[in-house]
Amino acid sequence: MHLYLPVALTSINILIPVGLGLAVGLLSGLFGVGGGFLMTPLLIMFGIPSTVAAATDSNQIVAASTSGTYAHWKVGNVDFKMGFHLLIGGFIGGLLGVQAIKVLKAMGNADFVIKMTYVLMLGVVGSYMFIESLQAIRKSKNKAEAVKPLQEKENSFSRFLKSLPLQTRYEKSGVTHSMILPIVFGGFVGVLAALMGVGGGFLMVPVMVYILRMPMHVVVGTSLFQILFNCIEVTFLQAYTNHNVDFILAVLLLLGSTVGAQIGTVFGRKLRGEQLKIILAVIVLLVTVKIVFDLTLTPSLLLAQAGGH
Amino acid sequence: MAKSKTSTTYALFGLILAAAILMISGNASATLTAKANHDNIKINFFYHGSTVGVSGISEPGTDLVIKIASPEGHEALKEKGKVGGLLWMNVGTMKFEHVPHFYSIHSTKKLDELLTSEERDKYGIGYKALERGAALDPVRSDEEKAQWFEEFIRFKEKSKLYTASAGNIELKDKDGKQSYYILTAWPYQAPPGDYLVTVYAVKDGRVIDQAASKVHVEQAGIVKTLAGMARNNAALYGLISIVSALGAGFGVGLIFRKGGGAH
Repeated sequence: MHLYLPVALTSINILIPVGLGLAVGLLSGLFGVGGGFLMTPLLIMFGIPSTVAAATDSNQIVAASTSGTYAHWKVGNVDFKMGFHLLIGGFIGGLLGVQAIKVLKAMGNADFVIKMTYVLMLGVVGSYMFIESLQAIRKSKNKAEAVKPLQEKENSFSRFLKSLPLQTRYEKSGVTHSMILPIVFGGFVGVLAALMGVGGGFLMVPVMVYILRMPMHVVVGTSLFQILFNCIEVTFLQAYTNHNVDFILAVLLLLGSTVGAQIGTVFGRKLRGEQLKIILAVIVLLVTVKIVFDLTLTPSLLLAQAGGH
Repeated sequence: MAKSKTSTTYALFGLILAAAILMISGNASATLTAKANHDNIKINFFYHGSTVGVSGISEPGTDLVIKIASPEGHEALKEKGKVGGLLWMNVGTMKFEHVPHFYSIHSTKKLDELLTSEERDKYGIGYKALERGAALDPVRSDEEKAQWFEEFIRFKEKSKLYTASAGNIELKDKDGKQSYYILTAWPYQAPPGDYLVTVYAVKDGRVIDQAASKVHVEQAGIVKTLAGMARNNAALYGLISIVSALGAGFGVGLIFRKGGGAH
């Protein structure tokens, strides 16, 4: 059955957005990512104008991350204190990122810088996570031991982090950090996310795992919590200033994604942290390869719909 | 007396006027008529495009060209190019002036067999005529213009907004006249608005007659309400979108807790 989308001004078979929602919601519940880096290009592929695709996706992520946060909160996997500090950083970073885009556009090479940032971040993050979790899996196999506490590698970087002021205990995550740390790194992700026009979950997750040293399951829940607030803000701004949110499309997407997020959460509990990381790494690397192909192969059409007007 | 004289004058004047109209119309459009059978298309919730049939009567032995188009306007599209000889990305904006957003042209035979190129340009018939009437920016030469206009046509045809066909108009004899009919697919990609249907009767390389009709496309029902609200009541629309998403997320969360229990 086809439905007409009043803002996208196009007609779509309802199975497409419901199916996409289910698949991306599953990833969301599993890994704590919003999935914008997958959903937006897929919607564009199915004929949704790019500006509407991005805006509507953020509306849909509100539903998926509510569903996911709720499921993770029930099993105690959300570190609200950490999430709140990351949010402060993310909010400031988002404002800076939007300014950075303005500067780049004035310089005339915005598209190039944005695409390159995207490919590099995805590539680096994906490769690092892949190698690291592969090693972790090998190690645990060799020792055939039950879960060992995190090895505290006392290098100069972690000593520096320990010397920062405003040290505070994050109870749920079982870590002690300076408050500055999540705010700065949340800000860093916020800048990049605004620059790339994505929610930044796929960057936030590695930051929490490798820099904040949080356990993977708490990472997923906390990431979803802060994605939820980011996407509420983005949805409102997109609806209010750009009129780009398609309500019908969002409803169709969230029918799938809210259910997908629940299934993902249940499924994720059956997997170990390293396994989750390696699957996410593979997905991120696949997306990287796809973008590299898109950049190097001659496109079938040399003209495309311009963004907002 | 005076009154009846005045009315006689009016009657006489009316008669002359009527005769004049008859003569003029008799000369200009001897028989050509045009009618679009589905001239008011409503975009509702389940809209997935429609069909538009154009029919009428023409002089026997004439060829026909049927054009359905939106008014001329301008379009700005992202232009892709190679950066550093390797990577394809958006390199700028190409502006197209004096081009219709929607253009559908159908003829009994191939256009270049029917009409001289001057006639096609004069009436805006065919892609070549559109190209000559259009202005592109930025292009440095005619070759570049031709190349980018070709890309423009490919883009438009891919989005179903431009179509061209030859030989799909059905012709029949009817009481010594010729009746014609074509059924065209109306794409859901065509936005709301007024579309002009023009039928040209063609003989010996020239347009000898034309008739017009129109197709009106508008949004209705939920589609109209939501589209209007997104534009005119954006803050409320945004809030409703967010609250619905939050509600759906919690709702599904609750259902799963009840259904699945604590895993």
